[in-house]
Amino acid sequence: MKRSHHAEKSTGKGDPQCFKGEAGPAKFKVGDRVRIKNLPDIFYTRCQVYTRGAEGTVAVVTHESPAPEDEAWDNTDKPEWFYIVRFKQKDLWSDYPSAYPNDSVQTEFSERWLEKA
Amino acid sequence: MSSSSRENVMRHIDLVGQLQPALHRPQHAPYPDAIDHALFRAYMRTSHDVGGEPDIPIRWEEKQEEQWEVNTYVTCECLAWRGIWNAEERRRRQNVDLGQTQYLGLPYYGRWLLSAARIMVDKQHVTLTELINKIEEVKKRHEKKSPR
Amino acid sequence: MAEKHKAAPMVDEVSDFEILEAAVRELAIEKGLFTADDHRRFTEFAHSIGPLPAARLVAKAWLDPKFKKLALEDGVKASLQVGIDWLNPTGFGTPSDYTDLRVLEDTAKVKHVVVCTLCSCYPRPILGHSPEWYRTPNYRRRLVRWPRQVLAEFGLQLPADVEIRVEDSNQKCRFMVLPMRPAGTDGWSEEQLASIVTRDCMIGVALPHPDRKQDDKRPIHPAVHPIQHDHGHDHAHGH
Repeated sequence: MKRSHHAEKSTGKGDPQCFKGEAGPAKFKVGDRVRIKNLPDIFYTRCQVYTRGAEGTVAVVTHESPAPEDEAWDNTDKPEWFYIVRFKQKDLWSDYPSAYPNDSVQTEFSERWLEKA
Repeated sequence: MSSSSRENVMRHIDLVGQLQPALHRPQHAPYPDAIDHALFRAYMRTSHDVGGEPDIPIRWEEKQEEQWEVNTYVTCECLAWRGIWNAEERRRRQNVDLGQTQYLGLPYYGRWLLSAARIMVDKQHVTLTELINKIEEVKKRHEKKSPR
Repeated sequence: MAEKHKAAPMVDEVSDFEILEAAVRELAIEKGLFTADDHRRFTEFAHSIGPLPAARLVAKAWLDPKFKKLALEDGVKASLQVGIDWLNPTGFGTPSDYTDLRVLEDTAKVKHVVVCTLCSCYPRPILGHSPEWYRTPNYRRRLVRWPRQVLAEFGLQLPADVEIRVEDSNQKCRFMVLPMRPAGTDGWSEEQLASIVTRDCMIGVALPHPDRKQDDKRPIHPAVHPIQHDHGHDHAHGH
């Protein structure tokens, strides 16, 4: 049985480590204010609808990997940088209780979903 | 077909009539001009994306795993180990491709299992005929072991 | 009440899932997609994992600032010191779990809690199998928006000035929480400390306490056909 390109490539390195060095320079850095784009929803994404259009701060530049929209059909040609972005709860949910102004959510995005805020 | 299997068919039709894959409308499969941007987006929603949806508190429980659930987990991992699918394909198939009704209606590992069956057929490792025959074979084997 | 709507447990001798599971597994082996031995080896792995290595990682980090620094910088490397090699058993990990462990450090001002709103991402190699409630749409729907309510249901109430930071684990990183070391544990050994770091503490829905060696007792939904293996412990329950 022929193994997929992906299984061969990640053996001995792990995933996402096997894509290291393939995405070029990262566009954002820790501390940058970013807004989540509202790209069309069709078939698949890992970018949650609740984050769309919201502004947050880059907390971690994590790793390089193909975007889920590509890798979900086994296309690994164009890795991107990934970022953990931190949002204030009140910037996500307008009804979040003001008694807890520091509460936050953080989640991860491929670079295509981010623009400078 | 025996009369009891006809009764099963009738019960099935009653049951699937209660499934809610879409907004309930007198006419399903509406005319194109009934779908505005908001409805289009709602129908294109990927079934796994549930964060922030309102829900009521439930009782938090632990669950003992069924033997078939562990077997399913292992089968899915072995398919990945041997390069039949990657983890992102799995997530798409297990959580989105099967559609809202099955997504919410079936157990967690039931979805894993269906997606494992599906990838073998989709990538032409087995034909659907072979899968159907194998299911029949396993069923018969069990009936022989424990006749009802 | 939610229970009222719950379906009665299935009483069929053999469920449709059991039949389909056997069919898929047997076909995959017959067609050479993987071998029976692959399946057996991975099953052994599946039975061997649990939350203990993660608890040891936490205890070590509490005792050794240098190790803590490593754990926060490189979770995969730190895991080796508690016996977990993320590349096992396949050479590239537990395929569904990827291999980028991130350790989230709680402080007096920040409390982390983990969810995967899109599926059930969880660091199985070091924390074992995820609990069923973690996989439910209910937990996934509510935690990112009503974290204080959900945590209160788990028995955890936190002051308003503590930032509750929900980590929605949605890509290739895997997360575990490094909770704060509780008072009353001065002079404890690594083993003693590890014994109070339960699974729920590392998901973030509980805090370690010197008197608590187990997660809160919850009702257990029993299996109709539970796991048969000779390891003498039931991994589905964690510890």
